[in-house]
Amino acid sequence: MMEKGKISTAQMGIMMYPTIIATAILIVPAITARHAKQDMWLSPFWASLIGFLIVYIAIQLHQLYPQKTLIEYSEEILGKFLGKVVGLVFLFFYLHTSGIIIREYGEFVVGNFLLHTPLVFVMGSMILVCSFAVRSGVEVIARLAEIIVPVVIILILANIALLIPDMEVENIFPIMGKGIMPSLRGAIIPQGWFAEFLLIAFLLPYVADHHKGKKWGMISVTTVMLTLSFINIAVLFVLGGITSRFIYPAFSAVRYISIADFLEHIEAVVMSLWVAGVFVKIAVFYYALVLGTAQWLNLSDYRLIVFPIGFLLLLFAVWSASDLVELTHFLGHTSPFYRISIQLGIPLILLFVAKWRKRASHQKVTQQG
Amino acid sequence: MGILQKAAKIIFVSVPLILLGGCWDRTEVNDLALIVGLGIDQKKDGQIMLTTELIVPQAVGGGKMMGSDGGGGGVQTLARSGTGSTVADAISNLQEKLPRRVFWGHTKVIVFGERAAKAGIRQHLDFLSRNSQIRLRSNVLVSNGTAKSVFELTPPIEQSSAEVLRELSESKLLMRVTIKDALQMLSSDASAAALPMVKILPPEKGKKDLQTIAFIQRTAIFKKDKMIGDIDDKLTRGVLWLRNEIERANITVTLEGEKGNITSTMLRAHTEFIPKYEKGKWKMIVKATTEDDIILNGTKLDLLNPKYTKMIEKELEKETNERIKAALKKVQKEMKADIFGFADMFHRKYPREWNRVKNRWEEIFPTVEVIVKTEAYVRRPGVNSAPQGLPEQEVKQ
Repeated sequence: MMEKGKISTAQMGIMMYPTIIATAILIVPAITARHAKQDMWLSPFWASLIGFLIVYIAIQLHQLYPQKTLIEYSEEILGKFLGKVVGLVFLFFYLHTSGIIIREYGEFVVGNFLLHTPLVFVMGSMILVCSFAVRSGVEVIARLAEIIVPVVIILILANIALLIPDMEVENIFPIMGKGIMPSLRGAIIPQGWFAEFLLIAFLLPYVADHHKGKKWGMISVTTVMLTLSFINIAVLFVLGGITSRFIYPAFSAVRYISIADFLEHIEAVVMSLWVAGVFVKIAVFYYALVLGTAQWLNLSDYRLIVFPIGFLLLLFAVWSASDLVELTHFLGHTSPFYRISIQLGIPLILLFVAKWRKRASHQKVTQQG
Repeated sequence: MGILQKAAKIIFVSVPLILLGGCWDRTEVNDLALIVGLGIDQKKDGQIMLTTELIVPQAVGGGKMMGSDGGGGGVQTLARSGTGSTVADAISNLQEKLPRRVFWGHTKVIVFGERAAKAGIRQHLDFLSRNSQIRLRSNVLVSNGTAKSVFELTPPIEQSSAEVLRELSESKLLMRVTIKDALQMLSSDASAAALPMVKILPPEKGKKDLQTIAFIQRTAIFKKDKMIGDIDDKLTRGVLWLRNEIERANITVTLEGEKGNITSTMLRAHTEFIPKYEKGKWKMIVKATTEDDIILNGTKLDLLNPKYTKMIEKELEKETNERIKAALKKVQKEMKADIFGFADMFHRKYPREWNRVKNRWEEIFPTVEVIVKTEAYVRRPGVNSAPQGLPEQEVKQ
């Protein structure tokens, strides 16, 4: 096996938390608010159903092929040629998605803080740091996540608490004033993020206590769901009807914090820790991509291709959109369907075929016996 | 290659990369003009004139030894203007006249001149909220003259006019509106807004003309984004009741059959709104509750007698009721501007019925029947019981 490190299921769950949250708190609240209005806090609940489903599928597939990753068992399930094709689709998907994530990170940093710094530079330095983490293997990324995630969670809760004086609870009414549809429509975007839970298919083979995989996968989805809902509620209470007018509503709300004319302008602190969260996110995607590519090419070691793929990632980040408007449009319109079809559609087909094959071979065995 | 050499190589490459990322657009503090107040005026020809109040930095400590004649602390401020067809244009014009780059991160106060307010403030607010440096928490005000005149003052107490207005805003005696609040009011269902209005206090005798402050005295009423009029401080308190924003107020009442006044101060106040939709009629029940302390007793009554307290509570309720009704009469019936956000309250409670009339809200709003119910509780008569400075036999028990 290429990866010799072992992680625990708890570590896997912890790794997945920033992997979903880090970019889901940027523009997702705004897009959700545009569709769901004051019901935006409900949308993560609907969206998380996809997350639970995907964790379930990934665990089922894992139980059929315990030692293999997504790329490896799709070959086994669909045969050499089709399996390679599906693997390639996944790899391109992860290459493209990672590029977009890096671009989102870059756009946010450049748009709000380093206005005149070239985008390529901001993104390039992040990829470089991540590539060191990826080269060190899954264990190192997991331990980094273990350090970063508690701080990120405390930070999110602290920020929500600091916003309490500026909250206006009546912004939440009417609850489901136009029925359930707006909140469901608002869930279309966040479900694309929940679909990223498919990444556990790359981590599960390296988990030591894999019988607990389902439990921790579900815990992770639940915490992500609650976090997103809390953030949406806080933003809604503070900004109300104008939430959707901002590109990064959660960030705008954090900038609004001012306690006793003293505790204010704290967005720099938020920013620095948020960057740590994004770091974990990019590292996990990057790791899955590198590992998958190495397995697809039947290489003996994945470390060789870390830097070349990092360079490709930078190119994809630059190519993914020409500007912020295009990026937001893609994320708000095309990406949910793109993400769901690959991260839910293909695994679902894989699972069905695998089950069917197992049954067929089982029958054959019993017939012969 | 040894591991140490390898590590040294990696550090050599990565440390500068990480550390220098932010240096790309670094700006030293002494290259920045820190703007604390921003005034937006519209000239007769429609051009926008932007006035900024900026801090003139001085060497710490050294400033005093040089014998600065500013009077105040170490920091002085300076007002400088630029013109252009939009605010953004005016800034580039202003920048030409400034040796340092403007920095908006410390802008605490934004003042609109009356003419600019009447012409519409939406595009200015858009600029302010779109800018990544300006904070949504900055206070927004309207000047009853030009905004420029406000920032030209050299206030005797605070370091800058902006600081004066910020402190006054945050005292919440009258309206206090941030950019966020203004945007919320304008984009709400009601699409009307109220902003505090400032006036320049006439300078004391013997002081120079500019040695005074601007203070919040009235409230400017906006329909859509255009100012349509203003109301005085008394009516403003009524409006604050109707917005559930009142925090401080003194109310003076007289009791029937008694000479002299009684003044109470508000400890806590709360307004509850109950929207009703019955038989095609929109109705709003406003329940205002206040808790007060007596701070002045000009009558001969011993305030430890519960009978008198009850009488005072009655009068307080009446007075509050009148204030609220006066504000309603002016703003709802005459100006027809829904600055109380009734539209949103109806929308929240009756989403379906509301959707049917939302296009006609402007006609409906003045006809909404408002029932004002007030409750007052006198909690304690200060630290005195019987009226002070009165012979024992004259006190009414």
